[in-house]
Amino acid sequence: MILATESPRPAAATAAVVDARGLVREYGAVVAVDGIDLTLAEGEFLTVFGPNGAGKTSLLKMLGGAMRPTRGTVAIGGVPLDFSNGEWRRSVGMLSHQGFLYQRLTAEENLRFYGRLFGLGDLEARIRARLERVGLADRARHAVHQLSHGMKQRLALARALLHDPQLVLLDEPYTGLDPAAASVLRQVLQELRSDRRTVVMVTHNLTEGLALATRVAIQVGGRLGWEGAREDVEPDGFERHYHEVVEGRA
Amino acid sequence: MSLYLRQIGVIVWKDLLLELRTRERVAAMGAFAVLAGVLFNFSTDRSLVRPQDMAAGLIWMTIVFDGLLGVGRTFHLEAEDGALQGLLMSPAPKDAIFLGKALSNFVLLYAVALLVLAVFMLFFGLGIGSSPAAVLLSLGLGALGFVALGTLFAAVSSGTRMGETVLPILVFPLLVPMVIYGAGATGRLLAGRPVAEVAGNLRMLGAFALVALAAGAALFRFVVED
Repeated sequence: MILATESPRPAAATAAVVDARGLVREYGAVVAVDGIDLTLAEGEFLTVFGPNGAGKTSLLKMLGGAMRPTRGTVAIGGVPLDFSNGEWRRSVGMLSHQGFLYQRLTAEENLRFYGRLFGLGDLEARIRARLERVGLADRARHAVHQLSHGMKQRLALARALLHDPQLVLLDEPYTGLDPAAASVLRQVLQELRSDRRTVVMVTHNLTEGLALATRVAIQVGGRLGWEGAREDVEPDGFERHYHEVVEGRA
Repeated sequence: MSLYLRQIGVIVWKDLLLELRTRERVAAMGAFAVLAGVLFNFSTDRSLVRPQDMAAGLIWMTIVFDGLLGVGRTFHLEAEDGALQGLLMSPAPKDAIFLGKALSNFVLLYAVALLVLAVFMLFFGLGIGSSPAAVLLSLGLGALGFVALGTLFAAVSSGTRMGETVLPILVFPLLVPMVIYGAGATGRLLAGRPVAEVAGNLRMLGAFALVALAAGAALFRFVVED
């Protein structure tokens, strides 16, 4: 049995941190995201699995306001996204395939740049704390191009969380990480969960994806082919269930 | 200082710091300025045309080509590791991002424009005229108008496959008023004519720069948003 129980989705006791309705994203004739509804409350951790080309990154970008939906709406903290006013972006932190880092700036200069764009107070102390948290305090003055891939990914995580966002969006965060870097990421994600941040993580890594999730979804062909609470999922049988959903047998 | 101004300032700081570290654009632009001066020096027959009659036009055309070389690469700074996406996902208004990029380009282009002026004064044996401040003002206003248009269209062309080829085709037609008023003002000033004679040109250059900046700030978000 793959699903332990078909318990109802946890009710959103508090106001939705993110509320997406009828999200569609088209690239010419290709429909990457095809009518997804998604509501996440404070403290929820949704992991989205799915094969390549399922539209997971497009979904994530639309949730974070990095991409306009072709149709549909996204509201963050109950407020519909207004692209002409970016104040709501303070609530969103995104770790993408790309780190959004300037290779010729040092680690601390990158964080200082983003911190000033966000108008953060007590910035230097915040930068030190974030670099320490991701284990890069001793690399603060190293240019990004001098860092390894894992270090860049940790720095990108520090950048994404610099402004303490309520909604954290993670796109394949474990890709290419060595065990030490993966451990740091796991700890930071655990802290986010303990801190009741709302997290959406897209990953192919079933083990890491299930480890912290409160909700799990499988995206196929632009739609959420299956969605359930984490406690409904038996980790041992999930891979078979995943393949059934992806192949349309579930 | 308001957050808006600080956001513009930090983008300028970041761009200039990156340029200081890489010297990618300023080296190419500086070399181009000197080489253009040398080539124009050897390609003109001074027994037929006096240097002061043609220098202003050549100075402005060198600035335009040099500007395309540098401003055209302004979004290459952001291309690595998706940094533009990070910038756009910050709460900084899109017009602040545009103004920050345009101002950092202005600092770069104005420095190069001064180099172009010095190179042509050297090779063509020109004096700076009776009002050096007005010469510098004409170049400054021209550079400001140029970077406003150049930054906007560099954003447009950076998203196309033939970006650097497309940029001049997009920008050149719009630069015609700037070149007319700029070369006119600079030519007269270098020839020692009074500032009052070019006041109209300077006003037109200023108006061109303001309109280009306002248009760029208003239109930038339509160019960069996905």
